[in-house]
Amino acid sequence: MPLLEVKSLKKTYTPRFGGAQVQALVNVSFSVEPGEYVAIMGESGSGKTTLLNILAALDRPTGGQVLLSGKDLSAVRESEISAFRRDNLGFVFQDFNLLDTFSVQDNIFLPLVLAGKSYREMSDRLEPIAAKLGIRKILRQFPYEISGGQKQRTAVARALITSPQIVLADEPTGALDSRATDSLLRLFEEINADGQTILMVTHSVKAASHARRVLFLRDGEVYHQLYRGSQSAEEMFAKISDALTVMTTGGEDLA
Amino acid sequence: MKTLRKFGFYAKLAAQNMKKNGKYYLPYLLTCIGAAAMFYILFFLSENDGVVTLRGGTYVMATLWLGSGVIGIFSAILIFYTNSFLMKRRKKELGLYNILGMEKRQIAHFLLWETVYTAVVGIAGGLGVGILLSKLMLLLLCAILRAGVPFGFFVSGQGILWTAVVFCLIFALCLLYNWYGIKRAKPIELLRSGRDADREPRTRWLAALVGTVTLAAGYGIALSVQSPVSALGLFFVAVLLVIAGTYCLFSAGSIAVLKLLRNNKAYYYQTGHFTSVSGMLHRMKRNAAGLSSICILSTMVLVTVSSTVCLYAGTEEALDKWCPRDVQFILREADEEAMYTVVEIVQSEAEKQGMEISDLAYVRFYVPDSDTDSAHVCGDALEEGSRGELVWATGDEDTLPDAYIGFNVKGGEVPTEFYDGVWDVMSRDSVNFRSGSEAARSECSDELYGMYGGFFFIGLLLGFLFLMATALIIYYKQVSEGYEDAEGYKIMQQVGMTENEVKSSIHSQIMTVFFLPIVTAAVHIAFAFPMITKLFKLFYMTNIALFAWCTLGALLMFAAIYAAIYALTARAYYQIVKA
Repeated sequence: MPLLEVKSLKKTYTPRFGGAQVQALVNVSFSVEPGEYVAIMGESGSGKTTLLNILAALDRPTGGQVLLSGKDLSAVRESEISAFRRDNLGFVFQDFNLLDTFSVQDNIFLPLVLAGKSYREMSDRLEPIAAKLGIRKILRQFPYEISGGQKQRTAVARALITSPQIVLADEPTGALDSRATDSLLRLFEEINADGQTILMVTHSVKAASHARRVLFLRDGEVYHQLYRGSQSAEEMFAKISDALTVMTTGGEDLA
Repeated sequence: MKTLRKFGFYAKLAAQNMKKNGKYYLPYLLTCIGAAAMFYILFFLSENDGVVTLRGGTYVMATLWLGSGVIGIFSAILIFYTNSFLMKRRKKELGLYNILGMEKRQIAHFLLWETVYTAVVGIAGGLGVGILLSKLMLLLLCAILRAGVPFGFFVSGQGILWTAVVFCLIFALCLLYNWYGIKRAKPIELLRSGRDADREPRTRWLAALVGTVTLAAGYGIALSVQSPVSALGLFFVAVLLVIAGTYCLFSAGSIAVLKLLRNNKAYYYQTGHFTSVSGMLHRMKRNAAGLSSICILSTMVLVTVSSTVCLYAGTEEALDKWCPRDVQFILREADEEAMYTVVEIVQSEAEKQGMEISDLAYVRFYVPDSDTDSAHVCGDALEEGSRGELVWATGDEDTLPDAYIGFNVKGGEVPTEFYDGVWDVMSRDSVNFRSGSEAARSECSDELYGMYGGFFFIGLLLGFLFLMATALIIYYKQVSEGYEDAEGYKIMQQVGMTENEVKSSIHSQIMTVFFLPIVTAAVHIAFAFPMITKLFKLFYMTNIALFAWCTLGALLMFAAIYAAIYALTARAYYQIVKA
């Protein structure tokens, strides 16, 4: 059974003061197997952010279904949605979304504290993750004292500490320099190799080339997909670039 | 022509800006209007012909004069504070103008227009409101003084002039401060100042210690003071110590306590405590000054209102103490014979003037403690005995006691010839006493009502002004914090905090920040209570129960108003955070 199933998802925005309706998602269907590392690519306006918001249960679709481990997201009650998100999903954002009022360690603990875990359990869980992400030395520092790369590692640690079914990443490399980008992408590959399912939304070819599979989104529909298979990241990079070229020059034969 | 157009441009830009920042500027303008109106009204009353001719008019005038001075100074502080707060919020916008090519000279120009608008609206509006309300205030004052209502409607030219001058000065001062700030700042700093990273506050143990010591010293003085005269001198020392202590403890003490809580892992890492403690830690750093100001202002409101209300409510009682009969004579250090001689002189002179006297009473007494004036305890002495007894003697006095002789007169009319006659006969018969004084109850009554009524009136106005200041500070705090907190709560919701958890976390923090000052103010009042009761002795006021009730009443009313302000501003806060 796939871990995540998206079935003919639709999302239409109706402007508040009349005007033309906007179809952000026309008909999106795909599925993600456990342990997969999927990147969703598309230009701005292709519906990436809308899709991610719906997957994150931050927004509701106008039509279609999202199933996580067979459970329909729209069947989760409003009062349980936060707990559901906390227990099943991990988030990594472009601008890190760390709280300046908490130390790095407390930022990572935040979802566990909300879930009512004891300090002992939290620190036991943190130990291996901090070691893997190389952030042990900065645990006592505050977000405004550390670099962008370190902030994003902190955010990754916060996403992983709940052992979520799936990690959702929204342009995770968007605010990083090239070195920090490289190291974050390597990190994602390692985490994925350990069995963590990752779904990343990006428009960076480089970021997408590290994924095992790439979905292309255009005008609210899945337009094309590429499997990496045994190819290296560089080969994948070239294939993605080709696909994008065809997409933007208007080729119709790829799908 | 070109410069003229430029003038118009800055004027328009300034007007647009104020309109867009209405959330901040409207309360500011209202405060300016309120302060100016109050200043005008006090000035108007203090030189109003109707007031001079009231009974005790001169006392009222003096009190009102003093009051207008206090209100002027306080308005200046309040307006200056608000102005600097607004400037801090707007630095980013000004920095943007600077970077987009507006020279500092031009920004100064633009600020000038803003100040001109504020001044015109504030002063003109204040005068308008003041003139409209002045008659009402005059009626209120007359009612308080139990005087007849004067006719006619007057506008005080002097009042208008002085209000305009004083408030123009205040606004000019604000403008100079703003100009100085712009001149010193670098554009990048201006641009960045809106989002300075909020550093973790350090624990300042020394400041916490100093705060504890000064507060304890202030409380100690308030509790240990014995005599009314030394209370008068030490009152302000105690007030200053408590103010210093409040500021230190709010800024350093609160952070020390919160850090201790955070180090307690079992307590800190719980859903309810986690966000509150860390949020409060950063909040206290930003808010310590504002919170202690609110606390001190609240204390001032409460002390002013409760004591002036109490004095006014106790006027009759004070009168009975000071002048229990229609006419009285007090002889200092008089022997028994002198008292009886004067009793006889009084009776014969009254007969000569055709006065019908009754309730003749006379008593000799020692004042209970050396700081009390014998005039303050006439009424008490009379309750001990009224037929020549010697009261309150302890046996080891080395001077003669004071003597009181008093009586009521039918019709209340006492011709001046009566007093002259009494003093003449006294000096002719060379009655043995050190010094003597006379008093008529009607005059004492005028004096007391004039003074306490004036206090009461000023107390109400000052109380209102302090309340306005408190509300203003609270409002600004809530709005500015709303913007700062909105981001944080969005993130927490993404990480899996439910909306209810967000709400209850916001709620507990706001509640703490809100009610900490008023609870502290109540504690301050409790400690000030014994000292104020001592001071009251100077005002013939010894009814402690009455004062206790007045204080409690003032506290409850203030708490109710405070809660209303809280409800209103909390709503503004939620709207900002949720948006």
